Amino acid sequence: MAGSGSDHLRDEVVLRVEDLVVQFPAPHGETVHAVSGVSFDLDGGETLGIVGESGCGKTTVGRAVMQLEPATDGRVELHGDDLTSLRGERLRQVRRDMQMIFQDPVSSINPSRRIRDVVREGLDMWAEKDGPRSAQLVDEILVAVGLGGDDVGERRAHEFSGGQCQRICIARALVMDPKVLILDEPVSALDVSVQAQILNLLEQLKQRFGLTMVFISHDLAVVKNVSDRVLVMYLGKVCEIAQTDQLFDAPTHPYTQALLASIPGNRLGLPPADELISGELPSPLDPPSGCRFRTRCPHADERCASDEPALVEHQPGHWVACHHPQAHLRPRGDDQAEAS
Amino acid sequence: MAPAERASPRGPRLGLAVWLSLGWIGLLVFFAVFEGLLPIREPEALGIRTGEVEKYEDPGWNALFGGDSRGRDLFALVVAGIRPALILGVTVTAIAAFLGTLLGLVSGYLRGTVDAVTAVVIDIVLAFPVLVLIIAVRATYGNSLWIFIVLFSLTGIPGYARIVRGATFSLAEREFVDAAVSMGATRWRVIWKELAPNIALPVLSFAAIGFAIVIIAEGGLAFLGLSIDQPTWGQLISQGASDIQRHWHVAIIPATVMAVTILAFNLLGDGLRELFAPKEILTQRRLHAAGRHAPGDRNAVLDIDHLSTTLHTPNGDVHAVDDVSLSVAPGEAVGIVGESGSGKTMLLRSIVGAFALGDVTRSGTIAVEGVDMIRSEPSTISATLGTRIGMVSQNPLTALNPVRRIEHQIIEPMLVHGTATKSEARARALELMEAVGIPAPERRLREYPHQLSGGMRQRVTIAIALANDPSLLLADEPTTALDVTVQDQILRLLAQLRTERNMALVLVTHDLAVVKGFTDRVAIVYGGEIVEEGPTDRIFQAPRHRYTLALMQSMPDLDLPSHSELTTIEGAPPSLIDRPIGCRFAARCPAAADPCMDEHPTMAGDESHRWACHFPADVPAAIEQGGSDGR
Repeated sequence: MAGSGSDHLRDEVVLRVEDLVVQFPAPHGETVHAVSGVSFDLDGGETLGIVGESGCGKTTVGRAVMQLEPATDGRVELHGDDLTSLRGERLRQVRRDMQMIFQDPVSSINPSRRIRDVVREGLDMWAEKDGPRSAQLVDEILVAVGLGGDDVGERRAHEFSGGQCQRICIARALVMDPKVLILDEPVSALDVSVQAQILNLLEQLKQRFGLTMVFISHDLAVVKNVSDRVLVMYLGKVCEIAQTDQLFDAPTHPYTQALLASIPGNRLGLPPADELISGELPSPLDPPSGCRFRTRCPHADERCASDEPALVEHQPGHWVACHHPQAHLRPRGDDQAEAS
Repeated sequence: MAPAERASPRGPRLGLAVWLSLGWIGLLVFFAVFEGLLPIREPEALGIRTGEVEKYEDPGWNALFGGDSRGRDLFALVVAGIRPALILGVTVTAIAAFLGTLLGLVSGYLRGTVDAVTAVVIDIVLAFPVLVLIIAVRATYGNSLWIFIVLFSLTGIPGYARIVRGATFSLAEREFVDAAVSMGATRWRVIWKELAPNIALPVLSFAAIGFAIVIIAEGGLAFLGLSIDQPTWGQLISQGASDIQRHWHVAIIPATVMAVTILAFNLLGDGLRELFAPKEILTQRRLHAAGRHAPGDRNAVLDIDHLSTTLHTPNGDVHAVDDVSLSVAPGEAVGIVGESGSGKTMLLRSIVGAFALGDVTRSGTIAVEGVDMIRSEPSTISATLGTRIGMVSQNPLTALNPVRRIEHQIIEPMLVHGTATKSEARARALELMEAVGIPAPERRLREYPHQLSGGMRQRVTIAIALANDPSLLLADEPTTALDVTVQDQILRLLAQLRTERNMALVLVTHDLAVVKGFTDRVAIVYGGEIVEEGPTDRIFQAPRHRYTLALMQSMPDLDLPSHSELTTIEGAPPSLIDRPIGCRFAARCPAAADPCMDEHPTMAGDESHRWACHFPADVPAAIEQGGSDGR
């Protein structure tokens, strides 16, 4: 699994991540291979979902794209400019073009500041604070995220629920008018009913502001709901990247199939998950040679141990990194109204 | 995340002790400022000359605090000591707090070389023999107040730097700092705008205590004859100490003033610390269910009848479990589904009587295999808990003792309840490890929890829960902390063990999907009440309570095309303190009408499927005709 390779990248995109590698030093001179050669791109107005389980490196990818974590190798290009080589003031200048939403909305807001100041912070920072325009903009954005009350701006984070805090975080990011918005598990900490509110809000905002988003999550149903394309990661590598409907109707990588079969109910017509995946996640300190999924894959052979599979295009726009791709077509029930 | 709605808007409260402290400090400041204008004797005036105060005069109307060994007015001397004390305390505290905070912020946020250098400098300063330094400096530069200020400030900086550096470390990890950096905040802006406001209160509290320390330090030095060239409390105590046997007041009065002052600053510091202690926002919500309950089944493993659990808190009574009735048959799997703050975890805790918060009352009955879990002898309850009930919690890491081997943790419940000898328990531990699907069990038994993955740890907690072959397994969000492929494994394992051992399972979860396929029946909990309960298949096909329906519709569904608009439940769950009179879901319910607001709905339906809703959702025609046609 896990392939490297960047043949699937397109031209003329907003964000282009190529062969991104992120490593961390570990005790005893070892190295954590968190992200090992991940490539993807993002067109204007597109939402890319990144899914995978804990330890697959999806959060590190998001942070490395944001330049919150230094990339060990590879490129992160925003409108053609490589960000990984930027330092200091030049890096600061481009930061405003990318914003991030985090998993814990309450921890994402400075508890000692009023919400109005939190949302206006970006404008303050870039000296656009003066004049009625900024106050008006803050009000508009607060209304846009569904927090239109009169005194909302005067309150502090602890006075709001988790869902409301996440709306505030979204407002704070939108004030910057970002070219790319990266959301790291933005609804995982929320209750189901609140989660639906936030997902609907993101969809509305995407239509209204033409947002370009990277949506990182472990929850496949949530990712399906928000994404145009989906990228599946395992142990620092890309397994499969496809249009959302392609991925959910015809998952091809054995790991993608195992993930989908693990969803309670397993309604995609896949075999039981325990037939598709075995054993435990290997250590990122010493990842397997060749395909990183081979130690848990029912189809693995010697080739998987020696050669790393590259991403290959199976259908137009559907890329899979596997020596033994498994065709699967989701059975179509009569009661399913697939209206893509 | 619990929708906290608005916490109560009232401001933080300062206790009486803090107000008294502030009053004392205010009095000191008053005397210090208006010293010259008040009708107080000249402190240095000797009684021998003026004849106004006698040597060692007792406290009285002539001289409030009496006279000292030279006939000076002790009251005037004590008042004269206020200014140097306050000047020394305020200046030293301000300088040390400012510089120490700055140093702590910078080294805590920038880390790396800056931090390393700071740490070394701090260690050097702390290693310095301050007393020797003071003696040396005094010899050269005399004993003016300013020498003391400089020396005390210098030695005070490391204390502030350390606490601020620690606080900054943890603050810098918070997402709001990442968010600011993402917007392009400079380092100085992050330090000034994001970090500094959050450490201001801790520093202030530390400073109040630091102030007290400065006063104590001056007193100690005065005793050694190392004081400044102005009258201080320390000098008075030192001078009076030699006469204390004959004339107690000469030493005790200044000492008392000094002690009260120190106490006042300490109390003020404690009060401030409480202000910034993590705010315990009570997010508990309420509910209350009514009515009709299937008659208690004598054969039930678990029979809960009209159970209410109330937490008595400073903010009011939290009705976490409200008139809940539920029974679980042997070998049956029952899901309890609810959102944060619905009371589902409190329901589970009520069964075992484990509450983190102190003051809790339970009414109604809970019977486990016929044993009354509320009113029986503690030893009976404990035996039932230990041998008939197994518990699996959400976080396997915190459920396991990090410093004890797995084997020890599995055999312990058997030894404690005397259900096996040590060698039997060992053999059984191995069987259990195999039963829960842990590879290489002999080796794993000798390992510690940190050597296992999350999924393996949860298997171990299940093995521990099974140690005494319980008839009832209580699982609180057993898979929430686990990945989806691991979750699938654990749920299958639980289902398999349940069948093999004819063990009943109560599965508490926020995730409806987990319940489907792994339980026979499900109870939906909202606001502390059961609002609907019935066979799992039936409820998924035809939910009747409006909340159940809304919850199901708000889950993203793999059958829906991407970008579908999801059905949402607007608003937030009701408070468990002030419960709505009518249906607790009414305020958020799209179908709510008049009776919903005023009238609490009673249970309708039959023994197998019941719900408490004034306007239950329709049953789809196909299902109504076909009856229960399985999944």
